[in-house]
Amino acid sequence: MELGVATAQRSDEATIPILAIGPYDEMTGSAGDVRPHYAALETRIETLTAAELAERQRVLERFFLLQGITFTVYGAESTTERIIPTDLLPRIIPADEWDRIEKGLTQRLRALNMFLADIYGDQQILMDGVVPRDLILAAPSYRREMQNLYVPHQAYANVCGSDLIRQPDGSFAVLEDNLRVPSGVSYMLANREASKRTFPGTFRGAGVMPIDRYPDLLLSTLKGMAAEWRPNAQVVVMTPGVYNSAYYEHAYLARLMGVPLVEGRDLVVHDNMVYMRTTTGLRRVDIIYRRVDDDFIDPLTFRRDSGLGVAGLFNAYRAGNVVICNAPGTGVADDKAVYAYVPEIIRYYLGEDAILPNIETFLCREPAQLSHVLANLDKFVVKAVGASGGYGMLVGPHSTQKQRDEFASAIKADPENYIAQPTIQLSTAPCLIDGAIESRHVDLRPFILSGEKIVVTPGALTRVALKRGSLVVNSSQGGGSKDTWVLSGDQEVQP
Amino acid sequence: MLARVADSLYWVGRYVERAEHICRLSDVMLNATLDRTEAAAQVARIALAAVGDPEAEKAASPYAVATALVLDREDPGSIVTSLSRARENARQVRDQITTEAWERLNLVFLRMTGADAGKAFADGSQAFLHDTIADLHLFKGAADATMSHGEGWRFLLLGVYLERASLIGRLLEVCFGDGRRRPLGDHFALTSVLRMSCALEPYLRRYTADIQPRSILQFLLLDEEFPRSIRFSTAQIEEHLSALTRYGPSAGQASPERLAGRLKARLQYADIDELEALGASGFLTTVGDECAAIHQAIYETFVAYPLELRLPA
Repeated sequence: MELGVATAQRSDEATIPILAIGPYDEMTGSAGDVRPHYAALETRIETLTAAELAERQRVLERFFLLQGITFTVYGAESTTERIIPTDLLPRIIPADEWDRIEKGLTQRLRALNMFLADIYGDQQILMDGVVPRDLILAAPSYRREMQNLYVPHQAYANVCGSDLIRQPDGSFAVLEDNLRVPSGVSYMLANREASKRTFPGTFRGAGVMPIDRYPDLLLSTLKGMAAEWRPNAQVVVMTPGVYNSAYYEHAYLARLMGVPLVEGRDLVVHDNMVYMRTTTGLRRVDIIYRRVDDDFIDPLTFRRDSGLGVAGLFNAYRAGNVVICNAPGTGVADDKAVYAYVPEIIRYYLGEDAILPNIETFLCREPAQLSHVLANLDKFVVKAVGASGGYGMLVGPHSTQKQRDEFASAIKADPENYIAQPTIQLSTAPCLIDGAIESRHVDLRPFILSGEKIVVTPGALTRVALKRGSLVVNSSQGGGSKDTWVLSGDQEVQP
Repeated sequence: MLARVADSLYWVGRYVERAEHICRLSDVMLNATLDRTEAAAQVARIALAAVGDPEAEKAASPYAVATALVLDREDPGSIVTSLSRARENARQVRDQITTEAWERLNLVFLRMTGADAGKAFADGSQAFLHDTIADLHLFKGAADATMSHGEGWRFLLLGVYLERASLIGRLLEVCFGDGRRRPLGDHFALTSVLRMSCALEPYLRRYTADIQPRSILQFLLLDEEFPRSIRFSTAQIEEHLSALTRYGPSAGQASPERLAGRLKARLQYADIDELEALGASGFLTTVGDECAAIHQAIYETFVAYPLELRLPA
């Protein structure tokens, strides 16, 4: 399953060879000392033999396989199912660091929701010239159809999954915002189930913040988006179907929230009302948590050739008879070029400095920055603004002169379509690899819910680049995941 | 409940039941090959005919036939195909099935499609089939013990019993229909038929070791308490359908509930002497046709109904 892109890497390239230990290790300090919040886990691991660890890993994998937490590999000979590689050693984040992450993410999403409300409303920020008008209005992810449409609580991105990385100095920075249909939360929950089985004693002693309320919080966030006159709002999860790589997650969330999992073909629109076809006739739907991209939700409004959506859905939305979550058009705020403006956006709406910094980003649309980028192509990672999934990317330090020349002419031809960032560094965390414990690169994807209020679940998906030295944490390219323990500090842990 | 979900659950039931039945047929067929007698060849022919493969010459190599029936992914009637479809349907409604039930089904599927399935079957065919049947029983048990006995569960069981009634009907048609050149009389063949429907022990308890074609027909067709008899199955179908129609408006004349009630009554009041005198074939054909009509009516009432009739005023 594709969980989105976190790192600079051409998808067709081999791994990037770098030092085995990154500039910052989650467990070990620069002097080789074990960080205090890792001490208990480290002690526990030392009492286990390699065989015992391997056995626990086997039990863990069996748990995932039985649960059907798998993706399908279609081969020439036969079709097999694989589990997403999962590492049994948890990644641990102490309370004070989490506190900062939580505040930073809350601030960021508040500002981004205000930004979306503004650009789909009066466009004050564009008038004031803080963000270039053409950057927004010409973006493919900008949806003209959303203009002046009422969105309750101005909560456009009800579910947000941001990718954070830890910089060499130990501070966290935002690499990417995902405001469209972020995935991976089921792995966060499943990894937790698994690690409770793997290290029950250490888990109990550590005081880990619980995350199992996520489905609950998601449901109340969604219900909070309903019109007041619909007291028993019918919520559904909309999936592209069983062949989607994130299908397991869609079914998982529907099951844990206790709401129907629908496909486009289960829904009909009549008189601008949305209904689902049940065994006893048509039943009104109020809120759709859709896991289908904007482009595909309504063939009458967006892509005509989409068979995944429902004809007339968007008109029903405009008429206020149904709520689509996340709102269509949120993608304009996680665009790679808009990303560079997020600190400005936060300052504009909230009058505050960003708590979580961005990665330094150069916009090729600005002539001064363009010439700097072109002069230093071998030092930068250049990304096409519209592309995602690791495509359309140049990793400067690992490129050939020919690749750089090709990219330089592509950038000059269409500078607005490119941004450049310095090669990022990821922190490393201990992982169990072939029976030994080795360091691998990790990132962090927490999940933020916004409805009436913004809630950050105290946990995250930690994605792991399982190949030695690799910076690629994408599951499609040899990435895995591990549980993330957020410690409660000295507060009492909720039983 | 979503119409698509009800449809999928119904098919999970049908495919699971089909897989279990074919496991049993293959098992009995393989067992029969241990004896090189005319009766053994006859059993193989019955099993083949009961799965709808009329090519009699295949009965000469029952082991190859059984292997194909179990593991051939290309064959739409094989166990692996049925299990893949059951599991695929279950995956599409994963949110409606409890984790306990899902795990059981997923486990059977993984074993049947795993890389070493062929070897496991070759090493011990009967143990392999036995384990598969046991796992399918575990699935049904887990579904019964953990799912709410509401709409979804009823659709699942509707599939199981409708499939069972059709499969047993087909088996009886092969054994006792008018098309047979000579009546089935051999003791070994008769007990094999009972084994194919998992009925040997319950039969012995009911009729003792006196194994007669007439008693077998009566037991598999008309017994009130044996869970694999057609009468029992149709009573279950009727019960689940009448419970399901309580959830929504009745669909009138073509309602599946009415059809099921009629079929249930037909079996309830059937008389074995009359059946023997007239030949079972006509009766079994009626049962098959009515099962097909119920299937169609379920589809039209619950799944693919015309939207115009159900729009809010």
